[in-house]
Amino acid sequence: MKVALTAAAIPGAVAVATVSGPLGTVGAADKVPLVVYSAQGYDSAVTKAFEAATGIPVQLDTNSTGPLLTQIEASKNNPKWGLLWVDGPTAFAGLDDQHLLVRGFEPDVKWNSLGEAAVPKDKSYVPTGVTLTEAMVYTDKAVTDPPSTWQELLSSKWQGQVGMNTPSQSGPTFPYIAGMMNYLGGTHGEAKGEAYFEKLKANGVVIHTTNGPTLQALTSGQVKLALVQSSAGTGARHTDPNLAVKYLAPITTLPSAIGIDAKATKTEQAEAKQFADYVLSKAGQKVMQSGTPTGDSLYYPVLNGEKPLATLPSLTSVKTQNITPYVWGPRENAINTWFVTNITK
Amino acid sequence: MIGAAAPAERVAAPRRADPTAPVPAGARGPASGRRSGRRFGPAAVTWAGRAARPALWLLLAFFILAPCACFLVLAVSPRLFDQGPQWFTLSYLRGVLSGQTGLAMLNSIWVSTAAAVFGLAVGLPIAWLAARTTLRGRRMVAVGMWVVLLLPSWLPALGWERLVAPDGVLSRIGLTLPWLTHAIMGPFGVVLLLGLRCVPFTYLAVSVALAGLGQEFEDAARVHGASRWASLRVVLPILAPAIWSALAIGFAESVSDFGVAATLAFQSHFSLATYQLYQAIDSFPPVFPKAAAMGWLLVASVALPLVLQGRALRGRTYAVLSARTRQVVRRQLSRAGSIVASAGVALFFFVALGVPGIGAVVGSLVADFGASDRLTLANYQAVFDQPGMSGPIFRSLAYGAVTATITVVGGLLAARQLAKRKARATRWLDFLLLAAVALPSVVFGAGYIFAYNLPIFSRLGIDLYQTTTLLVIAYIASSLPTNARVLVGSVSQVQSSLHEAARAHGAGALRAWLRGVLPAVSRPLVMAWLLTFCGVFLELPLSQLLYAPGSPPLSVAIELNLGNYHFAVGMAQAVVSVGIALAVVGLVLLAYRILAPAGWRRIGVATHG
Repeated sequence: MKVALTAAAIPGAVAVATVSGPLGTVGAADKVPLVVYSAQGYDSAVTKAFEAATGIPVQLDTNSTGPLLTQIEASKNNPKWGLLWVDGPTAFAGLDDQHLLVRGFEPDVKWNSLGEAAVPKDKSYVPTGVTLTEAMVYTDKAVTDPPSTWQELLSSKWQGQVGMNTPSQSGPTFPYIAGMMNYLGGTHGEAKGEAYFEKLKANGVVIHTTNGPTLQALTSGQVKLALVQSSAGTGARHTDPNLAVKYLAPITTLPSAIGIDAKATKTEQAEAKQFADYVLSKAGQKVMQSGTPTGDSLYYPVLNGEKPLATLPSLTSVKTQNITPYVWGPRENAINTWFVTNITK
Repeated sequence: MIGAAAPAERVAAPRRADPTAPVPAGARGPASGRRSGRRFGPAAVTWAGRAARPALWLLLAFFILAPCACFLVLAVSPRLFDQGPQWFTLSYLRGVLSGQTGLAMLNSIWVSTAAAVFGLAVGLPIAWLAARTTLRGRRMVAVGMWVVLLLPSWLPALGWERLVAPDGVLSRIGLTLPWLTHAIMGPFGVVLLLGLRCVPFTYLAVSVALAGLGQEFEDAARVHGASRWASLRVVLPILAPAIWSALAIGFAESVSDFGVAATLAFQSHFSLATYQLYQAIDSFPPVFPKAAAMGWLLVASVALPLVLQGRALRGRTYAVLSARTRQVVRRQLSRAGSIVASAGVALFFFVALGVPGIGAVVGSLVADFGASDRLTLANYQAVFDQPGMSGPIFRSLAYGAVTATITVVGGLLAARQLAKRKARATRWLDFLLLAAVALPSVVFGAGYIFAYNLPIFSRLGIDLYQTTTLLVIAYIASSLPTNARVLVGSVSQVQSSLHEAARAHGAGALRAWLRGVLPAVSRPLVMAWLLTFCGVFLELPLSQLLYAPGSPPLSVAIELNLGNYHFAVGMAQAVVSVGIALAVVGLVLLAYRILAPAGWRRIGVATHG
């Protein structure tokens, strides 16, 4: 009853009902707290809206992706989480390989091309949006003729002028490196990718820890081109309008996704599915896009009919690529170790 | 004889209990001289005394040993917690001894040794100047040390980096100093940053030890013809427990530090062991067995300062605080001496606080990632406008207060054990506590998950993981070793005669302790309380792994801002948080000044000469 009253009062709840079918999958008396592990900037806004829409209590563990995955791996004999919501399909593929995720769940939604490409075959996780890795950010005043291809970054014109993050501290950087390897040599492109980054190093690439310091190096003049996650680059334009963002082709997609704990109770799993339904509803998308308009809200939707925030560059003229998370995920440690040992140093 | 470095036991041999000895002025409480009203029964007190030691060991076993062991065992048996296929393997231990990890471990050991020595070389003179001379602004020294302790180690590292980096503040104002950039962005800078963190530990350990060291030792030396400098050769050996304690804790704190390892050291391509350990945990999937193998090396590394400490202190006693302890006389510095001393202390605070302070405050005032020189208060406005901002602050204040109060009691008990003559159990306790300091917090955090989230506990209805209870227990366990180490210097000075004299005057065991001993250790206890409070208030790794969902502590809230492209807002939040913690430090010190009997406060305080 409480759910019905709340649903009537809040438009978002109506949207949930239309998207996910019967809203009362979990009866009022059966509700248990849904433990949400999330690294999304808008998670607090979304969970509050979800609570208001469904009456399901949410316990939010908002953290960086690293600590969340550490908790999941350390507690996998006796997990305490209900759903995980982070960027990067490789982490989900790794969890899926360990049979830690519920398989076969797909919300009843109309995916666009980005969404279709991001849904895994076994439906073990649900994409909720896409960012790109890495976008090229530069200052209009300092760079009038920016590079148009990845190969141009190796030219003497950009010697010592390219900044990027290290994959050991920046989550989106591994998908970028894997994406470059995939672009240059397909699923067995490690050698060609390594050769590319060795040339980039020889050309004086400047490695910083994460997006913030890399952007700082750009704005302070240490470098002229910064390779960062698209949401970080576009968000930085809010604080410095002189910055410009350009996507080099092909640019690798980095979907954010929701995975559900395979060992959670049936009730909590049902609630987690309702949460995924809500996130992909019109109301949920609206909250996601308004939660952190200068940060994680700068994503490309994965649903037909949903548009990205106006400040994001159009994707129509840019070639994107997806890396297969089940292929590249297991190589993450080895590739990161190689990069830190040979390029970062 | 005086000119030689006299063994401390000759100077400060333990005294027979002297029932006629006057209770020192400082040890008298306001009710002194009156017969006490209600007393605890002797049987109850005796029982409590007997129970204290096993209770301490039980707590240490459950809350320090068990989680650490659960984590470290993964190095040889990953299968035990489903972290690999092997029931027994030495491959991870062999692996970390070679290549990058082996090199990182060697770097960590020499850098930590150098940092501890740096901390002693700077902290000891400052402690002495503040406690025993007419140094200008000496009252501010303690406050300054608290601020140094308060700052998370990454903050000074970022501040320095921002100052001297090729695109840094100095470069932007036209002051390009390549030699300085080269020096700071390398091993020297790492030692400097870690060493600066060691200075407050030395200061705390030595200043509380100086507080218990009466004037009589210097007087004795001077009477026998020693110059002022020569008399130091009498005093310094008596401070040996505090000095070794400072060295050991400085080493352990440095070897376990991650803030500098992940910022300045990383940016300088200078790999440290903790960074390698975090990398093993933070990668996906986490390689816990490799991290555990690194943990073993860190634990083994603390044997180095302990062996040296054991050799230096063997067979000596340092109990110098008794009923006959005399109030010390503050030495009048000459004009030139005063200028030099003040300049030296000011230089330390400029390097330790001024530079990172400028970096943090400027970082919190920039409007556009530092592209222009425009400064704004908008980030502070954003901090106060953020919904739910107050919750994490009050939560962390409460966590800090509760943790500090419990830790001080446990730390005192542990320090008493450490201060006793070295038995096998004491040596194990010493090693256990220092090893726990050397282990990075993330090891504790993961260890707590392994140990207290076993399915059997859930079947028994005990679900501690992701509760505030386990988080506070973890805070206590991670704070207690440092706390005990800081207290041991002053506790080892307390002669049993203080307690026995009170008993001889008719006080029960508890009242005798409250009247005879508590006044002598009250100031160190307050300092230890503040040390723990400050450490917990902005603690991050444990908080990230163990906080109860829905109740994030302050550090998690700050980290989320720093990580979510709101770097300047995060910096503003960090500055505000340090301000709040500093206000708490001020309030506690003020409360001690107002509430503690005047006699308590006089112990260890020098008068003007």
